[in-house]
Amino acid sequence: MSASGNPTQALGSREESPKSAGTERLNVEQASFAYAASERSAPTFTLGATSFQAHERELVAILGPNASGKSTLLRLISGTIAPLSGRVELDGQETSRLDSRTRAQHIAVVHQESPMVYPALAGDFVLQGRHPYGRALRLASKDDIAIARNALAQVGAGHLAGRTIGELSGGEKQRVILARALAQQPRLVLLDEPTLHLDIGAQVELLERLRRLAEENRYAVVVVTHELALAAEFADHVVLLHHGRCLRVGPPAAVYQRELLEQVFEAPLEVELGPAGRPRVNLRARRSEDAT
Amino acid sequence: MRPLTLRRLLWTCGALTAVLLACIVLALKLGAVPISVTDLVWNLGRIAIGRGDQLPTEYRLIVFDLRLPRILLGILVGAALSVSGASFQALLRNPLADPFVLGVSSGAALGSILALIVAPQIALITPLGAFLGAIATIAAVYFLGRREGQLDSTTLLLGGIISASFLSAIIMFLMTTLAGRDLRGMVFWLMGDLSTPVPAGLRWIFTAGLLVGIGAIYTTAADLNLLLTGEREAIHLGVDVTRVKLVVYVSASLLTALAVSASGAIGYVGLLVPHAIRLLFGSDYRLLIPASALGGAIAIVLADTLARTVVAPTELPVGAMTAMAGAPVFIYLLRRGIR
Amino acid sequence: MEFKSSPHAPKCIDADFSKGRLAALCAWMAVLIFLFGAAVPAQTRMAQATAEPPAAAPAAHRFTDEIGRRVDVPMDVKRIVSLAPNLTEIVFALGEGDHLAGDTDFCDYPPEATQKPRVGGPVNPNLEQIVALTPGLVLATKSINRRETVEALAHLGLPVYVTDPHSVDEMITSVERLGRILHAEKTAVPLVEDLRARLSDLDRRLAGTVPRRVLFVVWTDPLISIGRDTFIADALRRAGARSVVDTTAEWPRVSLEEIVRLQPEFVVFASAHAGDTQHDIDALRSRPGWRELDALRHGHIVVISDAINRPAPRMVDAIEQLARALHSESFVSRDRQSRRAPHVTEETCACAR
Repeated sequence: MSASGNPTQALGSREESPKSAGTERLNVEQASFAYAASERSAPTFTLGATSFQAHERELVAILGPNASGKSTLLRLISGTIAPLSGRVELDGQETSRLDSRTRAQHIAVVHQESPMVYPALAGDFVLQGRHPYGRALRLASKDDIAIARNALAQVGAGHLAGRTIGELSGGEKQRVILARALAQQPRLVLLDEPTLHLDIGAQVELLERLRRLAEENRYAVVVVTHELALAAEFADHVVLLHHGRCLRVGPPAAVYQRELLEQVFEAPLEVELGPAGRPRVNLRARRSEDAT
Repeated sequence: MRPLTLRRLLWTCGALTAVLLACIVLALKLGAVPISVTDLVWNLGRIAIGRGDQLPTEYRLIVFDLRLPRILLGILVGAALSVSGASFQALLRNPLADPFVLGVSSGAALGSILALIVAPQIALITPLGAFLGAIATIAAVYFLGRREGQLDSTTLLLGGIISASFLSAIIMFLMTTLAGRDLRGMVFWLMGDLSTPVPAGLRWIFTAGLLVGIGAIYTTAADLNLLLTGEREAIHLGVDVTRVKLVVYVSASLLTALAVSASGAIGYVGLLVPHAIRLLFGSDYRLLIPASALGGAIAIVLADTLARTVVAPTELPVGAMTAMAGAPVFIYLLRRGIR
Repeated sequence: MEFKSSPHAPKCIDADFSKGRLAALCAWMAVLIFLFGAAVPAQTRMAQATAEPPAAAPAAHRFTDEIGRRVDVPMDVKRIVSLAPNLTEIVFALGEGDHLAGDTDFCDYPPEATQKPRVGGPVNPNLEQIVALTPGLVLATKSINRRETVEALAHLGLPVYVTDPHSVDEMITSVERLGRILHAEKTAVPLVEDLRARLSDLDRRLAGTVPRRVLFVVWTDPLISIGRDTFIADALRRAGARSVVDTTAEWPRVSLEEIVRLQPEFVVFASAHAGDTQHDIDALRSRPGWRELDALRHGHIVVISDAINRPAPRMVDAIEQLARALHSESFVSRDRQSRRAPHVTEETCACAR
């Protein structure tokens, strides 16, 4: 697919949003990556140079359709892979060079739920977030328990502490997983498609909570999603990816252009500006398009 | 929230140790030759005050030279098999993993037979061959279980089961064609048997290996908890997954090889005991590993006492007892599936 | 800004953990060490006790047994434990039955043997039971007992004498040696002389005869016969027979097809009770494969005493039985004058049709 959308890529140009006056947390600078079956064969997937920043209390959405490179970018940010070129820094330190323990103290990653082999209590599950701070046996200290309880309370799941993970609903489980991330006391929280299995009410609740938590705990949040509407409503910045290329970086109002989004998501869309200066995306049925 | 506390850890292990001690007394008492508990306690007391030499010889032979070493061997074998079973279950994220199911026991049996064929005159060749056989089988099964560089637990289990039957076939072949050799003991080996005492020189190596193996696995207990919730999650929570996997894989193999070289293929202990402990005390590996070690010891001591006494004076192989109890549990777990 | 990082987290130990793990580890390591500690003094004391039995026990003779082990047998053996049926028979044949303190579940001859305390099966006897019988000597035989059993008993300080006869002559030598060890020369010498005389008598009678080609049936389903190096094969040779199965395996499983191809002249069964075998043979006659055997069709079937299975004096009876059945012409003329006639009874020698 040709990138006829908009050639003026906003590389590195970050538009200050009024409230993100805090210190810079994450700095992604011209980071790229390539997957190849072996070292000698041609890469099967590449992520072109991508640059953006996230300050504390900010929520950045990485947006794009499937196979656009969102997960690769997330892995680069989390430091589990090192960029081919460029750098990914958290508070000035390259994330891929942190040792696994320090990295886990700084960066929390929330994935879509993974199956549990043996049942565990939600409270004990949240205590796992204290793992990077303990040593060897990691018997929970009073502080650890207080932090875990606090984390559960922050996501409004204090009452779930004594329940087993298996008997929780999707939304409850998502909150408990988020609480574990909070218990890590991170500077950066990464979320991979957190809204995937949630209904719309739970989705809105989660994003609102993420914003509030970012505010309270002074960390930066990076959310990978393909939910255009949610990103428009809650993100301070949006990184738009398409076929491994970073097309746009900026506040939703700047990135959300009808032609661009239609091309990227291959669906007829309508974009209008809402009252708070945030864009709104509506799906346009093809029928009406035919009619016009 | 019920976080593991030092207190709970010690209480649980203490209680299990008490049960184990009771089982030891029971096992010392029961047998083809009946001995009363008061007599036993009295004589233990006499030994404690250094007057053991006044005991009648046969009494000392039976209780301290026959039953006690056998019980201690059972404790070590039970602990080793249970801990390696629990470790393999975490490593492969599969509750059906067990050294017996993974074919390691058959590999050890074949190793010892080959060792007997190649160099029957060398002392301690049988346990050495078993050890090498166990290590080689684990490596081979591990290799079979890899798909696209990733360890696939279903493939691995199937690889183990297939390896076990392949190795058993080779054993059958060797036993039929090499009838001239003294391989009758192998039959007992294949069923798992504690009646053959471990040579004195090997006893210390075995104890040291067991403590090192369990200790090494125990240092990763907290990491294993996270590995169970998923490898990716574990990495993001600061677990050095590659290192933990290596440590646990090597240690669990060592434990299995030690156990099999000492007692043959005692099956299902590594499956049965960790699951019973999970039901009783939860699945936290920081508690599960020491509790499984003690539970495995209890299980083997009891199973061997049964094997010695059910049809006394004839002895059953202890492996037959554990398989009788273990196979139905395996089927049950298999049918229940991974919840 | 470069951040120095090591692949692993630094190895400091926080207070909480060190309390936790060390205490837990110490607790149960202590238990294990205690348990082993308790066992080891017992072991060493025992070793001392067994190292100096001459102080307490009467003087011992040092013998080398048939697998080359050194065994110190007390001068006066009052209690013997036999770990194999053939050894039990030898002990009784030497007139030492009263001194037999225990034998195995399979020891059924002579009938008194079944009255003795049992120590379990020969392959997996109960060591405790053996120890409890306080034997002065334990007898084992290599082809039946396990090496591990012998080693374990020796480790406990019990003298274990192992026999290993591979032929009829070696069996007789074994009897001779056991006679010396048990100080039963008075019985042993005439017994051995008698056995040797009977065998040479047989050799004389069978001189010049062509050995019969026989199939010795150990088991019918599956068909198991004997290998060339077994004492049974030797016994067959002494009886003027030669097994059609020629292999190094001791108890080979042979295919019936192969036997049909080889067409043995006689089929030999060993049984304690001739009647039972007769029933089995009738059943075999109608079965495919067996039907094709000329020996079965012509009634060339010999049932001999199962004593042939045991390297003990009674084996010679079975050899004589077999020789009479296979080479009756060699016995016709001199049968009446034979001194040994009572040894062969019509009851156990059943030559079917």
